[in-house]
Formats: sequence, C-alpha cells, structure tokens
Amino acid sequence: MERLIPEIVNGIVLGAFYAIIAIGLSLIMNLTGTVNLAHGSFLTLAGYLAFTLLQRGTNFWLALGISAILTVVIGLIVERTLIQPLYKRIPLYSLLLTFGLALIAEEVFRLIWGPQSVPFSTPASLQGATIIGDTVLPTYRLAIMAVLALVMVLLLLFMYRTRQGLRLRGAVLNREMMAALGINTQVLYMMNFGLGIFLAAVAGVLASGLIGLSPTMGNGLLMPAFITVVIGGMGSLAGCLVGGLLLGVGQSVTTLYAPAASEIVTYVLMAVVLLIRPRGLFGEEGLFG
Amino acid sequence: MKRTLDTAGLSLLAIVLLGMPVWMNIARLNVSLGTSLLLFGLAAASVNILVGYTGFMAFGNAAFFGVGAYGSALFSHYIMPDNMIVSTIVGAVTGTLSAFILAPFLIRRRGIYFALMTVAFGQVYYFIAYRWSNVTGGEDGFSISRPHLFGPNGLAMEGATYYYYVLVIFVAVMVFLWFLVRSPFGLSLRAISQNEVRVRYLAINSDKLIFKALVISGMVAGIAGSLYSMSINFAYPLLMDWHQSGDFVMMTILGGAGTLWGPFIGAIIYTLAANVLSSKTETWQIMIGALFVICVLFFPKGILGFLSRASTTSEREDVDTTLDHVHTDALAQGEPG
Repeated sequence: MERLIPEIVNGIVLGAFYAIIAIGLSLIMNLTGTVNLAHGSFLTLAGYLAFTLLQRGTNFWLALGISAILTVVIGLIVERTLIQPLYKRIPLYSLLLTFGLALIAEEVFRLIWGPQSVPFSTPASLQGATIIGDTVLPTYRLAIMAVLALVMVLLLLFMYRTRQGLRLRGAVLNREMMAALGINTQVLYMMNFGLGIFLAAVAGVLASGLIGLSPTMGNGLLMPAFITVVIGGMGSLAGCLVGGLLLGVGQSVTTLYAPAASEIVTYVLMAVVLLIRPRGLFGEEGLFG
Repeated sequence: MKRTLDTAGLSLLAIVLLGMPVWMNIARLNVSLGTSLLLFGLAAASVNILVGYTGFMAFGNAAFFGVGAYGSALFSHYIMPDNMIVSTIVGAVTGTLSAFILAPFLIRRRGIYFALMTVAFGQVYYFIAYRWSNVTGGEDGFSISRPHLFGPNGLAMEGATYYYYVLVIFVAVMVFLWFLVRSPFGLSLRAISQNEVRVRYLAINSDKLIFKALVISGMVAGIAGSLYSMSINFAYPLLMDWHQSGDFVMMTILGGAGTLWGPFIGAIIYTLAANVLSSKTETWQIMIGALFVICVLFFPKGILGFLSRASTTSEREDVDTTLDHVHTDALAQGEPG
C-alpha cells in the first residue's frame, strides 16, 4: 500500500496532463475537424519559452503566464496563415499540414536550444514535500494538480456560463447556422484554437518541470492524449477528464507491477472501451462519426 | 489521346524501372536506393487503398509495414534462415494479420475519429517491438543477413539481383491493385468514399468492405515492410512509428491519391528529396516539413491530379468531389447506420 498511494497520486498528475492536452485537442477537433498533430510542439514551445524566461531570473508563475500568452500568439498566427485556409477541405490536409509543422518545430527547437534535454528547475518554494502518514507528496505535483484543476474549472465556466462559450458550443453543432445568425465564425475559430493552445502551453510548462524538457517532450505526451480523446469520446470535455485520469492512474499503477507493460495497458484500455462502447465513455452518438 | 499518353507513360516507367541498376550506377548512387523507391511506393500504395479509394484517413500504415518487417526478420532469424521467398510470404502474412487484429476496432468509427484511432492503435506494435527487447532487440533494432532466394544453395540476393526480385513483386502487386480497383469490390470502395450512407441503403455492408480494404492494405504494407527490412538488413521500432505513417500518407498525397501510379510517383519524389536533402544539410527535417506545408496548401491533388486537371480527365474530378462529400457527410450526418 505504501507504494501504491504515491503511484496513484502520480497517476492523477499524469492523467490531469493527458486530460488538459486532450481537451485542447478535442476543442480544435470538434469545431474545425482539424486533428492538430502539432499540438505537442506547442507544449514544447511553451516549455522552452518559460525555460528562457526562468534563466533570466523571471518568477516561475510570471514565466508560466508570459510563455503561455506568447505561445497562444504564435499559435494564432499559425492558425490564421496556414490552418485556416484548410477548414473547407477534408481533415486529411490539416492533419498532414500540422504533421509537417511538427517536423519543422522539432528541428527548430534542436537548433535553438540544442538536442539534449535542458535543466528545467522548479522554484524553491515548490520543491518541498508534504508528508501525510507514510505517504510523501511532492509539493510540485500538488501545485500542478491545483493549477490544472483551476484551469479546468475556468474552462468549464467559460464554456457553460458565458455567451462566447455558448456560441462555441453552438458552432460545434452547426457552423452554418451560427454564421447565418450573424456571428463571425472566423472569430470563433480563432478563439477556440487559442483556447486549445493555451491549455497546451500551460500543460507544457508544468510538464517540463516534472518530466524534463527536450525537443520531443510534447510529442511524447501527444499520443496518450489522443488515446484519451478516443476513450473519453469525441465532443465531450467531461469524457477527456475521466479518460485522462483513467489512463494516467492505469499507467502509473501498471508501472508498479509490470513496468514493461505501462504503454501497452493504455491500448488495452482503449480496445476494451471501444468494444463495450464504441462512441467512447461520454461520446455523443452521431456526432463526429 | 489518353490511351497513347498512358502507353507512353507506361513504357517510360518500364524503361526507368528495368534499367534502374544502370541509372543508379550512372548517378553514382547505390542500387539499394532504387529498391527503396519501389518499396516506399508499395507502402504508399497500401495507404492509397484506404485514403485514395475508400476515403478513409489511414494514418497508421507504418504499423503494418513494420510488422511485416519484423515478421520476416524474426522468422528468418529464429525459424527458417536463408529462404527469401518464404520470408517474403511470412512478411505478407504477418502484415495481413496485424491489420486483421486492429480492423475490428478501426471499422467502428469514421472521419477524424478513424484517423485518430489509426494513429493511436498503430503505436501498439511500436511499443511491443520496443519493450519485448529480448526477442526484438528493443530500441537497438534487429540485424538480419539477407537470405538466399530459396535455401542456402539458391541465388544470392545481392545488389541488382535483389532489386529485380523486388521489382517482380512490385509489378505483381501493382497488377493486383489494377484489377482490384476495377473489380466490383474496388468500385464499392469508391462508392463508400462518395456516400457511405447511400451504399448502406443499397443493403451493402460497408463495414465488411472497409474491413477487407484494411486487411488488403495491411498485406501490401506488410510485403513492402518485409522486403525493406531485408534490403537494409535491419528492422527497428521507428519503422512503425506514426511519423513513418505520416511519410507514407504524404507520398500518397504528393503523387496523387486515388490514382494507381500517383503514390509511387510521390514516393519517388519524396524519397529522393529526403535523400538529397539529408546529405546536403543537417536541417533537412525543416525542408521536409516545409514540403508538407507547401504541398498541402498549393498542390492538394498531388502531381498526377495537377497534371490530369490540365488534360481534364473526368476520373480525377470524381475523386475530388468524393473527398468533399466525405467531409460534409461526416460532419453533417455522423455515422451511418
């Protein structure tokens, strides 16, 4: 038991990452049908920007905020110039384009920050640990959970309690109708993409402090996030949350008993969910095939 | 007019392919590059069955390719060394099996969901090869010596000989695909890409057809992978990575999806470009990425599509509208049935 509880905590942290990345992916996918294979690159980009800021002595939280905003700005430029022209075409093209972008980004990171992983240090105030009974809970992990939970709550409030959120949800169901009602759908696309990238950026900076920062950091987290979307069901934010936590905890606990199977277990989970419930745990029938 | 063009094109292709060892010698390149061109062409053709003809975004074909590679590599190491033909058959069978295992899951979804699932499920074989290191060599890969044609006393498969062995199989598969896309089965696949709901109204079980398309695609990819591992004397997990799948899809789109020869032309251009760039500059990955972006933005129909638009053949235009239909259908009507 004394080894199980820390693993479950690790799993929840990991799962929260998967969930937040998957929500970003799924927002972009739901509205515009774009499978953003460059999502991982935005995670890494935010990590490196924060790393550069931290080296200059910026406060950790400030660095998190600034790098997230910068990443969103870069993301929006990419969306407007490269991805937006593809919204009218079949999703295969945006898939290929973002794949190309991911290739470019990885090499650019290598050129600027070197091919090796860089030492990404978390602030001293987050380096301690809380001890409850026999269990050691590192402060940084608790902080990650707190930040990700906060981001999640804010996102849900935005989606379900504001007019813009309502428009976004409406546009997912029927873009033409939204446009016909006089709503500028291009603005919605931008806002939605920016939101997805913001989530990726926050996750990227926090993950850099946990698992280390290298040019391929984000892509490593992308695949589990894909699986999370499949398990949770497309079009469902709650599904991403539950799917992510399920995946994270499942993976961590497996690491304890059978380290070699920690990746395979995610696929087994996905296969089981698809057999029992093809649309995913919270997926809506008929939406997004 | 079109017929003469086709004949001219095919004759040119025959000259290029039959004389490949000579051309490669003149260009001071290794004939194994010529072999790679054929094999990536086959891999792209396997993607084309799904992407071009069925209208399904298959982003995981490297998995089948890699399983074929490992299948024949492990077979010729552990079970029957020194038999090329049997190894190739084993590669085809393992490739087919790998698709057969995943297909029941993959056929459950459509559109971008299908794309996501091919990416995700494709990685399962990657991790098996990666983690099962005492058999597969794990991250370091698995070295093999290229077997003789049929037992130790058979023909040695060196250089140009191996190229011609691959060429024979390449031609056989292309002929098979030529018949396939003209068969009732191939036409049904095209019908699915145009309007799957209507296909189902005609009491045709589209799930079954997609299942078959996946398995055939797995077989072709498996053959390509098997011959590729024998060509480079090596099998390694990155062969199955989703990045490799992305390359295959790119080749297909670059040449022209939904045409018989497009994927092969795309594979030639892509492979030669990657080869030249990686020898000239260290930042070649950026150039390849830029190639993706430029091709998607400016040449979405690929080279053959671009050319045939100039000569306005109706065949290509059909495929175009198809691709658009898939999109609107997937978004507007959701899953059929």
